[in-house]
Amino acid sequence: MVKKMKEHNDELDCSGMNCPLPILKTKMKIDTMDNGDVLRVIATDPGACNDMPAWTSRVGHELVESCEEGDKFVFYIRKGE
Amino acid sequence: MLSSFTATELFEAIESDDDFVLLDVRNEDDYSNFSVEGPNEIEMLNIPYFDFIENPESSVEKVPSGKPLRIVCAKEGSSEFVASVMTEFGRENVSHLEGGIISWGNVLVSKRVNSEDNSYEMWQFNRPGKASCSYGIVYEGEMFLFDPSRNLEFYQQFAESRGAEISHTFETHLQADYISGSPLIAEATGATFVAHDGDYSSGIHEYRSIIDGESFEFSNEGGPSTLCTHSPGHTPGSTSYVIDEKFLISGDTVFLVSVGRPDLGKQVVEWAKTLYATLKERITILPDSLIVLPGHYTDWSIEADSEMRIMNNFGSVKEYNEQIYGIDDVDEFVSYIQSNMREQPEIYDQIRKVNSGHLTPCNDEQNVMDLGKNECAASSHN
Repeated sequence: MVKKMKEHNDELDCSGMNCPLPILKTKMKIDTMDNGDVLRVIATDPGACNDMPAWTSRVGHELVESCEEGDKFVFYIRKGE
Repeated sequence: MLSSFTATELFEAIESDDDFVLLDVRNEDDYSNFSVEGPNEIEMLNIPYFDFIENPESSVEKVPSGKPLRIVCAKEGSSEFVASVMTEFGRENVSHLEGGIISWGNVLVSKRVNSEDNSYEMWQFNRPGKASCSYGIVYEGEMFLFDPSRNLEFYQQFAESRGAEISHTFETHLQADYISGSPLIAEATGATFVAHDGDYSSGIHEYRSIIDGESFEFSNEGGPSTLCTHSPGHTPGSTSYVIDEKFLISGDTVFLVSVGRPDLGKQVVEWAKTLYATLKERITILPDSLIVLPGHYTDWSIEADSEMRIMNNFGSVKEYNEQIYGIDDVDEFVSYIQSNMREQPEIYDQIRKVNSGHLTPCNDEQNVMDLGKNECAASSHN
């Protein structure tokens, strides 16, 4: 089954990175994007599964969806105001 | 260069009541699920590391200055990052925990239980991250272990430091709240894994089955005897060990505060009745002078002695828990248990499966499963 990828404006691959890098890189990337744009982030650190929702809700971004694809964790984040 | 500290050094700093601030930079959920606790109060705060990414300046300002700052995170990377931010903003005396919260969760602190003029050494290995205790007896180059955790390296190094080899590793019962180290230790050292059929017969580990009332002796004559007393209730196979007629390694049957909850197996009434019979017929008949060495504790301030050892004589334990030991009616006892029942953490089912050998997660997963304080007592102190 081919899973249709959600729409997104940009993508960031944090595979192989450990805390704090996935959040640090995501923040740097999202800072360059427009409000309302969606960033697709790929991570392999299980720590990201708890930290990504905690971080987005704290800073006002929207975690549109998070899922596992094989051994990777994928997050869709819509940039907040 | 950033400085760091080990989990053992953190415990020592808490034990000696050093003046410092502990900053936990994990996310709020992980922090509220499990955080550092020790024998003294800790000045602690939680600011997630991503706050230091978003607003470094205001986050740094939230941290009290003028005291040494120790930083803790999940695995080490984020605490190192926050330490570097603190340093950039001019803070001094900043350090981070090596190995993150998992190394805290696994750290063991050894305390000598009996005096040095004995022919054998009785040791308590306290695991503050789990509020649990394992034990070791050393006699003439041989060591018996009781309820070890997965920290194989610690036990091996400890045995070596005492010039001993681990010959037996005993379990008081099939643990639900932490992953037992006995199978690991037996495999690594060739030690005999000793356990009760009541808990282990359906598992897949090889073990030497306990016969109620039998005694294990050290290879060389003159060592302390280890008398096995079947004490079911918390689990069907729960066994307490009377050592040298002086100590009671009580597992999760007798605690210094409360007794081991009999509701974890979900057959509350039946197991509570069994526990009642155990307490009346097998436990309260033991001498008051026995020093109780429990599998868990809940409150350092009540349960630790002046040397931070979790131990007390059985007479005092019964007196303190008169509310439980004073019950003389089985139905009343069952009601007491039922009225004190609370949910058990979901992970306990999984941990039991790991301990019986039916589930073998990878090492990282076991580390995560094994993190968090125990919920084994029948009542919280009131």
